[in-house]
Amino acid sequence: MRQPNIAFQVERFGLVIVWIAVIALFGALKPDTFLTWSNFSTIFGSEAVLVIVTLGLVVPLTAGDFDLSIAQVLTFVSMLTAILSAKLGVPMLAIIPIVLAVGALIGAVNGALTLYFRVHSLIVTLGVGTFLHGITLWISDSQTIGGVARGLMQWTIIERFLGIPIAFYYAIGLAALLWYVLSYTAFGQQLLFTGRGREVGRLSGIAVGRVRLLSFVASGVMGAIAGLLYTGTTGSANPSSGTTLLLPAFAAAFLGATCINPGRFNPWGSVVAVYFLVTGINGLSVLGFRTFVQDLFYGGALVVAVMVSQLVSGRKERNL
Amino acid sequence: MSDQPAPRLEIRGLSKAFGGVRALSRADLTVLPGEIHGLLGKNGSGKSTLIKILSGFHAPDEGSLEIDGQPIALPIPLGKSEAHGLAFVHQNLGLLADASVLENLIAGDYDRLNPWAINWGAEAARAGRLFAEHHLALDPYDPVSTLSPVQRAQLAIVRAADRVQVHRAHGFGGVLVLDEPTPFLPIEDVRVLFATMRRLTATGVSIIFVSHDIDEVMEITDRATVLRDGEVIVSFDTATTDRAQIVASIVGRSMTTDRMIAPYVPSASPAIRIENLSGQIVRNVSFDVRPGEILGLTGLIGSGYDEIPYLLSGATCARQGLLHLPPVEHELTLMAPAGAVEAGIALIPADRQRAGLALELSLTENITLPLLGRSHNALLLNHRRLADITAGIMARFAVKADRPRQPASELSGGNQQKLVLGKWLQLGPRLVLLDEPTQGIDVGARREIYDRLVELCQSGTSVICATSEFEQLETIAHRVLVFDRGRIKAELLGDQVTKSAIAHACYQENRTYAPA
Repeated sequence: MRQPNIAFQVERFGLVIVWIAVIALFGALKPDTFLTWSNFSTIFGSEAVLVIVTLGLVVPLTAGDFDLSIAQVLTFVSMLTAILSAKLGVPMLAIIPIVLAVGALIGAVNGALTLYFRVHSLIVTLGVGTFLHGITLWISDSQTIGGVARGLMQWTIIERFLGIPIAFYYAIGLAALLWYVLSYTAFGQQLLFTGRGREVGRLSGIAVGRVRLLSFVASGVMGAIAGLLYTGTTGSANPSSGTTLLLPAFAAAFLGATCINPGRFNPWGSVVAVYFLVTGINGLSVLGFRTFVQDLFYGGALVVAVMVSQLVSGRKERNL
Repeated sequence: MSDQPAPRLEIRGLSKAFGGVRALSRADLTVLPGEIHGLLGKNGSGKSTLIKILSGFHAPDEGSLEIDGQPIALPIPLGKSEAHGLAFVHQNLGLLADASVLENLIAGDYDRLNPWAINWGAEAARAGRLFAEHHLALDPYDPVSTLSPVQRAQLAIVRAADRVQVHRAHGFGGVLVLDEPTPFLPIEDVRVLFATMRRLTATGVSIIFVSHDIDEVMEITDRATVLRDGEVIVSFDTATTDRAQIVASIVGRSMTTDRMIAPYVPSASPAIRIENLSGQIVRNVSFDVRPGEILGLTGLIGSGYDEIPYLLSGATCARQGLLHLPPVEHELTLMAPAGAVEAGIALIPADRQRAGLALELSLTENITLPLLGRSHNALLLNHRRLADITAGIMARFAVKADRPRQPASELSGGNQQKLVLGKWLQLGPRLVLLDEPTQGIDVGARREIYDRLVELCQSGTSVICATSEFEQLETIAHRVLVFDRGRIKAELLGDQVTKSAIAHACYQENRTYAPA
């Protein structure tokens, strides 16, 4: 571990430093609106969904696959939850296992299509995601559905700990779980080799197909968790809710891969990246910029993140 | 000799060294108009260096080149050799299987075409005339994937000839360099290809035919040149030279190499036996390897010996075969890498960069991968212990690196290979399979790898080493099997295992040696 330590630590915590600098900048410009606990607790709570979607992407990305369907899993599960709860009166404790199973099933379908037909996951998940969006529009008749059981909202944003909605702690808990799996289990190493040295892993006895399948299932389940929390945040389901989350989640995953554990998709880096991005957007909107800054910021961040990571690794040709 | 025409291509005093190692030393080569000129030599004799200088891939240290009497400045800029009438057909042929014959034919010929509107009808007609002229029955619109191997080779050669055709106007008659186009073709198809080559030379084109195969060179070439250790040994008229002389000049009178292993002492434990193994090239091969024995596998390119480590470890699927690893019998068609690791088989693949190591990942991650879940708690990895294990292996295998957390890409080839060896030998395998274990590795590291392999066999492990380096086999192999077109052609034992005996066995005529 003895290497040019200062440079290494700066690389690891560079994004955290930039984040603090951004907070300081906006804080200096708008101390009474931006730099308030209520503003930050809102950010922390409402963006927990984005954190979970990003974590859901980190798993297949580590294994060398893309899951573009995750945002549509979120939308579909959100809608399913609203319909089951508001229209059919199914109790929430029954809905939760059902929608988690639906998420797992969609992940399994993504994985099975990718592996059996040897199609690139980018294409498979793009198709499956769009298909899911069609189903969502169909079952909801393209309407927003409200009237979800209050318990879900209670345990998503109303309940608070240290002033922050409890959804934030779910996201942090998932990040911690993922960090443990990636860093301290053999399965984490298998995911890593499946992504970065698939042939090496295969020859070392890793069932790379099974690892990839499980990574899709994991991202499907995390998409479903994000869908539940999304419904819990607003108390309703909107048929196009998740569509705007896909790019921010990719931006955060790639930006997160430049910090904490540089060069690897990692959960804590993803958490930092999400909150860095939303802090920037929140600050700009407090300054009076309109919604277009979101797209500028997310799109710019994704491009900058991949540029930075390629510069760090010496611009080697790589297949993601 | 006075009636000899002016040479088509004349190389004088060409030399090239890589990091102090002479790959080519003052080589001369003369190719006459309309002749087929063979280029023979073992691996590392300098053939490919010479060809890569002609194609502009390497810059020579010294030497001159004349084509049709015109001096050509060296190095030739990459991609510009065609303007001097030089065209190359490499072993992989450079065809895109998914594209049509016509698309492949015009690929790279963009100077001639209108870049804004390709007239496909006219191009197809032109291709039809070209194929008729060369007696090829090809439909321009067929995908290349539907062509037979020999048709593909013919297409590649005719395409190369077509490419140099236009430069005749500038006084360049054309030289085609065919780099090992035949090893994967059956003998009947080789004849078909030769007919195509003959028709080409009848039009005045010269061909340089690079091959390992003496029979083919004797059959098709007018003259040939033998390279050995970077030097031109002899150029001769094929018709008046006999086989034994050619073999002698390829093999040379080599100095003996120090053998690092003691003669094989039979062990009481039963041997590992491979029965009726078939893969892509090898057919129905049976042999055994005893405990504490280093068995070498070798042969010429395309003979199939290098498939065997992958077939035995489940890295590629066998078409049939049994591996008897006493007391268990493994069906090789069902073998998978996980099962092979479980059975105590270790594979050290030739492709270190892709199959041996994940270069972006750390030394620790690479080394300890097979331990996880085996001798190590899979649900709570102890990174300190894993780093200690890595440090232990780095010390034992003399891997020169700064720290276990370093990415594997930062190590030299030799240290990478020692790392791979350490990764697998820590598991205490019963059967170690190696493919080209010292490829691209410096002399010092090579020696250390030999030491490890000798230690390994002394501890009773069986080792199978597939290699094209005969000297390596002389140094470490107890016994050598020589392969030819998928079958075992010769077996050399003990004192017979010498560089020159192996080379003679590889180049010997007898193609239908009964399997041992």
